Amino acid sequence: MNEFSDLEGELRGLRPAAPSADLTTRVERALTEAPANVATAGVLPRPRAVPVHWLGLGVGLAAAAAFLILARVSVEKPAKQQPTVAVAPSTAPEIETTLPRTLVPDGVTRVVYHTSDDGLVFPRNSEEPVRRLRSRSRETLQWKDPGTGASLRVSYPTEEVELIPVSGQ
Amino acid sequence: MENVATHEDWKNCFAEAAPGLVLFARQFVRSVADAEDIVQEAFVKFWRKQHPIENRALLFATVRTTALDLLRRDARRARREADVVAGSEQSVAPQFDGASESQQALAGAVDRLPAEQREVLVMKIWNELTFAEIASILGISQNTAASRYRYALAALKKNLIPHERVF
Repeated sequence: MNEFSDLEGELRGLRPAAPSADLTTRVERALTEAPANVATAGVLPRPRAVPVHWLGLGVGLAAAAAFLILARVSVEKPAKQQPTVAVAPSTAPEIETTLPRTLVPDGVTRVVYHTSDDGLVFPRNSEEPVRRLRSRSRETLQWKDPGTGASLRVSYPTEEVELIPVSGQ
Repeated sequence: MENVATHEDWKNCFAEAAPGLVLFARQFVRSVADAEDIVQEAFVKFWRKQHPIENRALLFATVRTTALDLLRRDARRARREADVVAGSEQSVAPQFDGASESQQALAGAVDRLPAEQREVLVMKIWNELTFAEIASILGISQNTAASRYRYALAALKKNLIPHERVF
């Protein structure tokens, strides 16, 4: 608390005039209609062109093919053991086949777009001040069905308030 | 976790910041239309340069630079805007929504503050920037930013006391 706390509270009570809907439309359009030669935000920059070395490419492809063969072999191994492990009732495989394809987690994005430091505050029932930090972010969770390629995305805003105890000096 | 902003994130970011950005831009050009043009140009520029979405200090610095560039481009316009900023009685659209009579008096007092104090106040109160961020935007020290803020509050308090007594 300081001598201007009341005044600061009154000032915060003033709400900045909302921008016109036209501005929002124009900005949203600009965000989607970026010129082709301009890198767009949110997309990783295009990697620099690398000269093709055919010998290296051939070796790389051979290595990749070898890896795929080995990977296939290692994947098939558990399948051979499956009959010995299958001790569940005979209805279990039927249930598995009737279940719909499940979505598997595909990615999580968390974008913090605003952080602020409220400074020292005195919470109720506390004699010691704490420092209050706020951060607003948007989290996006994404699932994908590997079979069909269908994806599901859920996005929601979050606000985190962190109270950091301040020790007396 | 990835930290790559999607289009949706940018749209949300704009929706969140737009009122404060327009208010900030109006400290340079009092016309709403001009302020919105500045905000649009600055925000798109900020987005195209792939700046981190959470770097609000840089976003405000971009708005400020864009506004100053606009004023420099048109000297006559700059003089006209400077006249308005200097406190002439020209009618401009209110900067705040639905203000009561006392709030209008407060908004008027904010309007009459010296420009350098008012821009710090706008960034601190309505955009919740820290003094460190404000200092980086204006190219001044944190102490200077804090001083300008305190001077602004002191001036507002001084201006409002006679008004409160009348009512």
